[in-house]
Amino acid sequence: MTTKADKRHHMDSMLMRESMVDKTVMASTDTDGKVPVVRMLPHVHIVKIGARSILEAGHEVCYPVVDVLNNILEKDKLILSTGGGSRSRHVFSIGIDLGLPTGVLAQLSAADALGNAHILGTLLSPVGVVAIPPEIFGHLLPLFIRSAPGVIFNGVPPYNLWEHLPAVGRIPPNRSDAGSFLLGECFGCKTVTLVKDVDGLYDSDPKENPDAQFIPKIGAQELQQRNLKTLPFDRIILDLLRNTKLVKEFQIVNGHNPETIAAAVRGEHVGSIIYADT
Amino acid sequence: MQDELLSELGVSLMEKSLTDDSLLEETAKYEQVALLPDANVIKIGGQSFIDRGRRAVFPLIDEVVENLPHHKMIIGTGAGTRARHSYSVGVDLGMPTGVLSVLGTFVSMQNARMLHYLLAKHGIPFIEPVQFPQLPHYLQERNAVIFFGMPPYIFWQPNPSIGRIPPHRTDTGSYLVSEVFGARSMIYVKDEDGLFTADPKKDRNATFIPKITVEELKAMDLPDVVVEHAVLDHMENAVHRRSIQVINGLVPGNLTKALNGEHVGTIISSD
Repeated sequence: MTTKADKRHHMDSMLMRESMVDKTVMASTDTDGKVPVVRMLPHVHIVKIGARSILEAGHEVCYPVVDVLNNILEKDKLILSTGGGSRSRHVFSIGIDLGLPTGVLAQLSAADALGNAHILGTLLSPVGVVAIPPEIFGHLLPLFIRSAPGVIFNGVPPYNLWEHLPAVGRIPPNRSDAGSFLLGECFGCKTVTLVKDVDGLYDSDPKENPDAQFIPKIGAQELQQRNLKTLPFDRIILDLLRNTKLVKEFQIVNGHNPETIAAAVRGEHVGSIIYADT
Repeated sequence: MQDELLSELGVSLMEKSLTDDSLLEETAKYEQVALLPDANVIKIGGQSFIDRGRRAVFPLIDEVVENLPHHKMIIGTGAGTRARHSYSVGVDLGMPTGVLSVLGTFVSMQNARMLHYLLAKHGIPFIEPVQFPQLPHYLQERNAVIFFGMPPYIFWQPNPSIGRIPPHRTDTGSYLVSEVFGARSMIYVKDEDGLFTADPKKDRNATFIPKITVEELKAMDLPDVVVEHAVLDHMENAVHRRSIQVINGLVPGNLTKALNGEHVGTIISSD
């Protein structure tokens, strides 16, 4: 501990007396060459199960997905997540009409996703995979993963009232796809797969345009430049991919063809892969 | 859900993609309510203020108490010296940004607790994010609350574009509180008069900037800025809180003046 001329008490370390807004100081914290970022869960896979596309699509769609997940869980560890689906869209429409801000909408939508996490947890209970309360999920995740074949969380990141402000409109930009991706990056997971009801990414919505062209693999920045009208995942992931260190790509697969989930976890290219092209 | 139960926006939200700009533009048409329009958010710096100890903190606490009858204050705390220490140790040991975010939260929480004990006899509570539903009640009853400035992103903190330090720290967390509640002001209490062209602690030629827009500030591309870059990014998209003021809390009376709406430091605005 030192008290220097500026009369502030300092502890000696590389960031002492420095501004953490200073670009040179920030660059000094990039030690990738010397000490790579630790991968906390390098063998674990993130699989996000779409709410509208799978969980709400009825047991004819959902049960085969659960069967495949059961098979995967026999040998691979999974962190499963869900979104809020139609109920979140409904609460967004009411909340926006009532004049509530984005942070409140984010807080509200986490509850819908948590409900869906509990539905998935009920279906996977026989193999010991349940929805973990958000308050303890992150801190105890490695312990749960060591103890159980997998865990489920509500994919919505815990941004709550602190949700980022969208450039256009009121909808929270960090939703359950982004939350699943961010968690995979922090814990250094092996793969991130988003399970939807389309084969992957198209140049327009294949449900509206039968001539939509499939895009099997594309860089995040290239995709941003193409400025497609809609995407089958949270747009903010394209920004996140610019700065990731551990997760450099994610894959979108079609849960209506559930074997693609198992293939994606094995590392096979069966849907659309969006990768960091920085 | 049956269509007749849904509003026009409800139908659009059910039918369209949340990535579709035409839908997002539709959601912008609804006027947003300011939830706590009389409240002021004050962020008290960690390294710049609390780490100076009694000499800096006691007069500011007195000033907060003097203002209790006149202003509602939501007071956030910075992290500072110990966060820098944990970030240094953490970076050297390969910790991911999300883990550093957890570490920073702990330090900002320590600072919140210390200020809270100093204000305890005035009945001012310290609230964690989970207690924010009680915030309006405490403000109504006691006119102030203390919270830790770090946003609760923990393991979900996105990586920065340079290096590893969490990009959304206590300036950002405090700012987002002021925006989400539609507060009447966002005041940053630091140990400098406001924004300078360079760090005035290191560069004697640094010149003071009393007023600037986010756009102008970004165009200047300064190597160092008095608030986190993320605050400036969020301000561009803000509905309510389109200006912030950075003041020197070491000067007695500055906080009171800023609470009264006077210009005593640097005002950064997004208009």
